[in-house]
Formats: sequence, structure tokens, C-alpha cells
Amino acid sequence: MRELELYFGPQHLGMVGNFSITLNVEGDRIIKAASNPGYLHRGFEKLMEYRTWIQNFTLVCRINVIEPDSMELMYSMAVEDLAGIEVPERAEYIRSIYLELARVGSHLFGLWAYANMLGFDTVANWAMYHRDLILDLFEEITGARVYHMYIWPGGVRRDFPKGLKDRIVKTLHKIGSGVPDYDDTFFNNRLFYDRAKNVGKVTRKQALEMGAVGQVLRATGMKYDIRKIEPYAAYDKVDWEIPTREDGDAYSRIWIVRDEMIESVHMIFKLLDDMPEGSVYNRIPNPFKWNIPAGETYVRCESSRGELGLYMASNGEDKPYRVHFNTPSYSHGLTILEEVLKGESVADVGNIMMSLYIVAPEIDR
Amino acid sequence: MNQELKKKINSSFPSAKISLPKEKRVVIEVNRDAVISVLSFLKNMGYEHLSMISCVDWIKEDEFELIYFLNAYMKNDEEYGEIEKSTILLKTRISRKKAKYITAIGIFASAEPYERELHELFGIYFEGHPRLTPLLLERVYEIPPFRKDFDTRKYVKEFFEEIPFVEDREEGKE
Repeated sequence: MRELELYFGPQHLGMVGNFSITLNVEGDRIIKAASNPGYLHRGFEKLMEYRTWIQNFTLVCRINVIEPDSMELMYSMAVEDLAGIEVPERAEYIRSIYLELARVGSHLFGLWAYANMLGFDTVANWAMYHRDLILDLFEEITGARVYHMYIWPGGVRRDFPKGLKDRIVKTLHKIGSGVPDYDDTFFNNRLFYDRAKNVGKVTRKQALEMGAVGQVLRATGMKYDIRKIEPYAAYDKVDWEIPTREDGDAYSRIWIVRDEMIESVHMIFKLLDDMPEGSVYNRIPNPFKWNIPAGETYVRCESSRGELGLYMASNGEDKPYRVHFNTPSYSHGLTILEEVLKGESVADVGNIMMSLYIVAPEIDR
Repeated sequence: MNQELKKKINSSFPSAKISLPKEKRVVIEVNRDAVISVLSFLKNMGYEHLSMISCVDWIKEDEFELIYFLNAYMKNDEEYGEIEKSTILLKTRISRKKAKYITAIGIFASAEPYERELHELFGIYFEGHPRLTPLLLERVYEIPPFRKDFDTRKYVKEFFEEIPFVEDREEGKE
């Protein structure tokens, strides 16, 4: 059969996000796949070298559209580490609650993209609606819906408003009451099983070789989660479980996303109950004259898609000398996707890509 | 734990400079010829996850600093040992003028896109890399754009000032 080259994306119905894959196909089978990122390359890491430590806050959150909060956290943790700033205990709890809310919001967005891809439009619309409820909470906490700029070096920008706890609980209960519907319509649906089972399989050996993190690794049974390995914020102060699956296929990965949302919600309830009183912010020096001592640091956290890292170097000036983000979609989208697509059918490209939870702006930065 | 690691590396590579800047971080500085052997040594010790390769342009010293970030995957699916908790930063310096280095793909398959990115943004050529094709950029720049001597503001000024503003358009012209 004749071999053809097929451009999948950036303008393609099966593509979510600014990303493209060049496929070599024979009939319906993929022989070779090559990822083409760069449609959203804004050069943030270079731009940050031209801006002061505090100005960069408006940039970091824009690296990832669907979950900007872990990027804010990474930047704050790196600056805190370089400048030697402590964070009050209440701020640690607020950070954890806020990050878990962001995780649920991000997973709902991911679920929207994935369900939409498989043609489950109803489920996709529910997920988008429920994400919107979380955005409402963010609006109340931070004043913004998508890019919050809430986590600062030294704590968080301001305390939770009065009565927010009740509203968080109410919203999460409302989303939680949708779980049986999600299960009946989507997760326990035979159609989802047939489309996703044994599709886009990443074996343990492949995952380790190609640097998988997050759901891709946890779908092979390894409880690898930075929140447990290197606890930050208040994650070491509550009990929680890491959901895993064994098969490493798209089906397992999406089930992990579902289980993680439920685990996050339980974690938020526990954190809300244990939250101590106190200040939420340690003063930083005048941001216009803020020089941070020379040095370097590497910090990491578990974002909604896997391990996220940040390397930052300072040479003692008022701007960072070098910033480099290590994002989970990078290895998933550039190494693993190309390998996994081989031998799969063209109809499953979007399915596999969204089950790997690839977020294009994170690759480009 | 990290002290033990320090001893082990020092016994095999006496020239390596090892520092422990804080808990859970190990910084190893080696000269440019030793990187590949240290990488495979660390991989055999259990640090089998290359999470990133980064580069810092130290323009005053006229050198690039390459940094390999290594983590360990869990040996046991359920429990964490000490080894998973530390991150190793393996550093080496190469000359800026002859920005040429060897690829690490033979040891870590995940190095491929990182080296591609550094080739594009810093202009470092990785010998033995199978595809050093463009990754993120769509134009060719004289100076690779992430180098310190590439001035973003100057570039934007030169690039966009050639395009006239709408206010400057002559009246009556179509």
C-alpha cells in the first residue's frame, strides 16, 4: 500500500490545542509520527531575564493555560529558596487547598477535551460546567478566573474571604453529586471501554526509558507522586492516597484522572478543617529594589499532569539570570507520543494524545 | 544518604567536585570529557530518570554550563526510599566559541528533545544526535536567541520599526 504523509493539526477536528503531528500512514495505520510544537512559543524564559523578580509573576502563570497555579507555585518556591524567605503555616494550607482546586479544575478541563474527542458531548459539557463553578471560586479568592497570580514569594496575596469555606464545600458537593452521572454515562460506559482499552499502551519499560511522569507512570502501577516524595506546601500534613492502575493504556490513564479528582476533593475537606489561623504573608523587600543573592536552585512539584520542575539561577541582580521550566508535557508530547502512535490507527490519534494529557503551551513555553 | 553517594562517586571519579547545597540536592561538577561516563554510572546506581537538560550562558566567563537533572524512579511501587528523594544536578562547562558536545541519547532516550531545544536556542551542536531539526522556532537567527548576547529588545525594535505605523500613512493614499 502507498505510504502517505498526513498533517494532523494544528487545524484539525481531532486536535485540541496548538500542536501538530506529522503522520506517515499506510492506509489507516501509522508508521511514523513526528510532533511539531512551537505554535505557541512565546519565549517566556528569555523574557523573564529582562524583567524584575516581581514583574515575572504576570508571565509565569501564562505558561500553562489550563492550570497556571502550579507554575506560580514553582516560581514562588524558587524565589523563596534563593532569597531565604519563610512561608507562614496558614499560607501553606491555603496553597495546598488552592492547588488542589486547580487540579480538579484542570482535570475537568482534561476530561472535557477527552470526552469531546470520543464524541461524548454531554459529558464534555458537564465537565466544562463544573470547571466553571471552580473558576467562580477562583474569582472570589483571587479576583481573576484564569490567570490568578495568587501565590507570591512569602505566602499568598491575600487571605480567604469570609465564609469561603462553606462555599468551597458547597461547590465541591455539587460537583461530587455529578459523579454517579459521570460514571453511568462515561466511565462505566461500554463505548468508552471499547475505544480506550488497550489503546495507546505505554508499558512500564517504555515509561521508564522515555521519562514518563504523572498519570502515564501511575497507569503502570507506580505510586510516583512528588507530593509524597518531596512534600511541599501542606501535603505532608494530611492523609491521602495515590490512585494507580496497572495496564498503562488510555483507559487506565483516564480512570486515574477521575480518581485523582475525588482524592483531591477529600484532601481539600481535610485541609479546610485543619487550617490554622495566622498571617498568610511574610513581607518581602521593596520589589523595585529587590536584588536576590547569587545562587541557583531546582524545585519540583506535582502539577495536574505530572512532575513539574524549575531551575533558576541568579547572579545577584534584580532580575533572574536564567529560568528553565521542566514541564511534564515535554516528555509526554515529544518522546512518548511519537513512540506510542506507531502502529495505531489514525482515528485514535486524538484519543491517545488527550489521554496522555498533553498541553501544548507547556511544551512551547 | 547523599554523603554515601558523594563517597561512591568520589571513589570512581576523583576529579568530580561534589557539593550538597541543601537537603535532597546533590551538585556534581565534572569536566567535559567525564559527563557520559558519570551519567551511565549514575544510571546504574538507580538514577534512571533524566528529567531535564538545561543550559546557562555565562557570557563573562565565555562558557556554557550544561546541567543534567537526574532523579530516581521508585524501585518498589508502594514505598519511597531515600534515593527517590534526591535530585542530582550534573554540571559541566563547555566553550562558547566551539559550542559542540556529545549526545546523551545512548544512555537516556528522553534526552532527545532537550538536546534539540538547546541546539536551537543556544546553538550547541550535539554530536551523534539523529535529528537536530528545528523544534520551536520558525525563523533562522544569526545569534541563537537564548544566548545572552541576543538582545530581544533591540531585535524587536529593528524588526518592527521597518513596518510603518498607521498614523504615518500618507493621506489620500489607497
